[in-house]
Amino acid sequence: MTKIWGKRVFSSSLLDSRFLFLAATVVGVLLTLSIFAFMVMLGLPLFSVHSLTLLLTQAWAPDQGLYGVFPFICGTCAIVSLSLLIAFPLSLGNAILIHLLAPRRLARFLHQVVKMMTGVPTVIYGFVGIFFLVPLVREWFSRGSGMCILSAALLLALLISPTMILVFLESFSAIPATHLRALEALGGTRRQKLLHVILPGARTGIITGLLLALGRALGDTMIALMVAGNATAQPESLLDSVRTLTAHIALVMAADFDSIEFKTIFACGIILYLWTAVLTLSLRCLHFNYAKSSHDQSL
Amino acid sequence: MTRVFDFLLYVFAWLCGLILVGAFGTFMVFLLTQGLPALGFDLIFGGTAIGDALLLKRVVSDGLLPAIIGTLLLIFLALVTALPFGLGAGIYLAEYAGKRSKSFFSLIFDLLAGVPSIVIGLFGFSLTIYLHKRFTFLTPCLLISALALALLVLPYLIRSTQTALEELPTTLRLTSAALGADQATTIRFVLLPQAAAGIFSGIILAIGRAAEDTAVIMLTGVVVSAGIPRSLFNSYEALPFYIYYMASQFSNQQELQQGFGAALILLSLCALLFTLAWLIRKKVTARLLYHHH
Amino acid sequence: MKKIIEIENLSFYYGKQQILDNISVGFGSSSIAAITGSSGSGKSTFLMIINRLWEELNGARMSGRVSLFLDHEKLDIYGRAISLSWLRRKVGMVFQIPNPLPMSIYRNLALPLQMAGMKKKDGIGQKVEMVLRQAFLWPEVKDRLRDDARTLSGGQQQRLCIARAMILQPEILLLDEPTSSLDEKAARKIESLLLVLKEQCTLLMVSHDQAQVKRVADEVLEMDGGRMSVLN
Repeated sequence: MTKIWGKRVFSSSLLDSRFLFLAATVVGVLLTLSIFAFMVMLGLPLFSVHSLTLLLTQAWAPDQGLYGVFPFICGTCAIVSLSLLIAFPLSLGNAILIHLLAPRRLARFLHQVVKMMTGVPTVIYGFVGIFFLVPLVREWFSRGSGMCILSAALLLALLISPTMILVFLESFSAIPATHLRALEALGGTRRQKLLHVILPGARTGIITGLLLALGRALGDTMIALMVAGNATAQPESLLDSVRTLTAHIALVMAADFDSIEFKTIFACGIILYLWTAVLTLSLRCLHFNYAKSSHDQSL
Repeated sequence: MTRVFDFLLYVFAWLCGLILVGAFGTFMVFLLTQGLPALGFDLIFGGTAIGDALLLKRVVSDGLLPAIIGTLLLIFLALVTALPFGLGAGIYLAEYAGKRSKSFFSLIFDLLAGVPSIVIGLFGFSLTIYLHKRFTFLTPCLLISALALALLVLPYLIRSTQTALEELPTTLRLTSAALGADQATTIRFVLLPQAAAGIFSGIILAIGRAAEDTAVIMLTGVVVSAGIPRSLFNSYEALPFYIYYMASQFSNQQELQQGFGAALILLSLCALLFTLAWLIRKKVTARLLYHHH
Repeated sequence: MKKIIEIENLSFYYGKQQILDNISVGFGSSSIAAITGSSGSGKSTFLMIINRLWEELNGARMSGRVSLFLDHEKLDIYGRAISLSWLRRKVGMVFQIPNPLPMSIYRNLALPLQMAGMKKKDGIGQKVEMVLRQAFLWPEVKDRLRDDARTLSGGQQQRLCIARAMILQPEILLLDEPTSSLDEKAARKIESLLLVLKEQCTLLMVSHDQAQVKRVADEVLEMDGGRMSVLN
């Protein structure tokens, strides 16, 4: 009878499932770090012939021996910041509409639409962009091909808005009902609720949404590649065609493996990796500080 | 003054809603009007007889079948590779890791989740170059793409497994422990079955991510025309890449139509997966609420 | 009389707060011992020390010596060689709020056996029926064994939890206010069940219902300010 109750004496083996789970975790960590290591390793020959400052500041003209990725950094910054400029107010407005203003059924419908939007493949945004948005932009401004910063930013705004709206909504609804009740008891209007309770209370959530959207926009390849036009020159207006860091990686792949031109894609990769790493770290700090401050308040 | 502000806020919010829904609506309507007429057996099988195509007797040259099969193979291989690691790491983070190591590991996986997919593709490609020096037969292929995609979806799997386990009520663990189960037994018999639905909806989202990603496969072996791959070391076709390619390289109206058709098929696939994940998620929430009752 | 549970110099801390203060006490065999006392006096903690369940909680610390007479042998359960799984199968526990696992009635009872390594062919089905009969549950649930256990009433759930603890044939059963969340009728049913069970194992029950203690307990102890005294 005692048999099925197991051994009385404690035993432990090295093949404990615990170690298997730990091994899986460690493999994941090593892979994450080796992404960076590989890019540095393969990009290193580039830095020996080309100084880092030149790489980051020069123009891109391989036929003149210029291999700078500066125009692509500019292109990325232009598209990303314009898309955020469009998407941020749009998302905030939508979040306010869904959380506060719209009738309940409409709000639920809008919420559902926004959730669905997060599932749309980026390549389809790009595809529809080329055949619908690009001709429109070309007509409106009757200048250039229509493949430009503006077109890409508009599409990208559509891509990142749902992410932002969902994060905003989550932080809105995380605000304790008692705070809202208190204001209601004082006869506060919806506007006062929004300005004095919801927006200040959701500050961390709003910054989180912005940073997440920024990361999403920064990392997107397909929209920029398909509708931004991929010109290598320094952009001067919103209607100029540009190439982003991500698109550069996709485009130069076809070049000869041993050329300097090819090795610049590792520089782009490293820049993107570090950039998103900084974003991730800031998100972490943001939440750490937030957790700390709300803990202090509760004491 | 107050009234004006209230009014402006009102107008602003409704305008934002209108713009977003309008933009997305236009997008959908355009895609549907262009894509629906293209849908049909011909879109998928080209001129080839359906039976012959499915039994691989004849090569489908102008239909989407190879691209659809390529995408399905990719999803399957990527998932099979990523699942053991995703589940294992998720379980470790939720159940075993100490406070400090948990914080460290989740930071790293947050980092991985943030890495742009093109950079993951670049990693897959660099790995191929590196390995090619030793194993000359290895070129960008189905296997490399699947491995890179596995890395792309890994953080999603880890996160969903971890959350699904962590949101289970503590009484479950205590009850199981009081019945003499050690931690491993509790995980296997009590926690994993209870967290299954949550983990499963995470898996479906990961499938959606693997199905739609274009940047990774673009760098690791997808081509426009390869037919159905015969081995892991062949190049292959995939839906998202086909859509990308058609956007710039279509040569006639029919090819453009096929591009729209492909876009519609991919969108339906993603919508289907998304809805499925949502339904499962809803069921889980209902069950957990029931438990607290 | 032979002591089944022997506790010497037991102190327990939760964080910086001292819950139990140098308790030394012993309990006899095949009897029901009841611990009474105001809430928050450490009664539940005391139970969790006997099956070492407190080790699953964070921030707790204890000192002292706990010996149980199990398998005809006196054992220091905090000794190095003791397996937690073995101990907890020998010392069953029933909680204040009925805690059936979110699965079927049958599975709730079969699971402890499966987790202990028992296979279907070893007669899990018979054992399940046996403990259900013993807990007076069989007539009520025999046609709905596949239903979710949480569809049972509170009293039925608690009897299911007692049956679940008994299916492992423990030598000691700990009960943490097993009837406090139930109505009078359901509570009485559980009490009569306890009187049957005491023929098989030693019962240690926490209760603050004085009338109930009088009805079922052979020994009564009172916990106050982290110290324990024998009443009777």
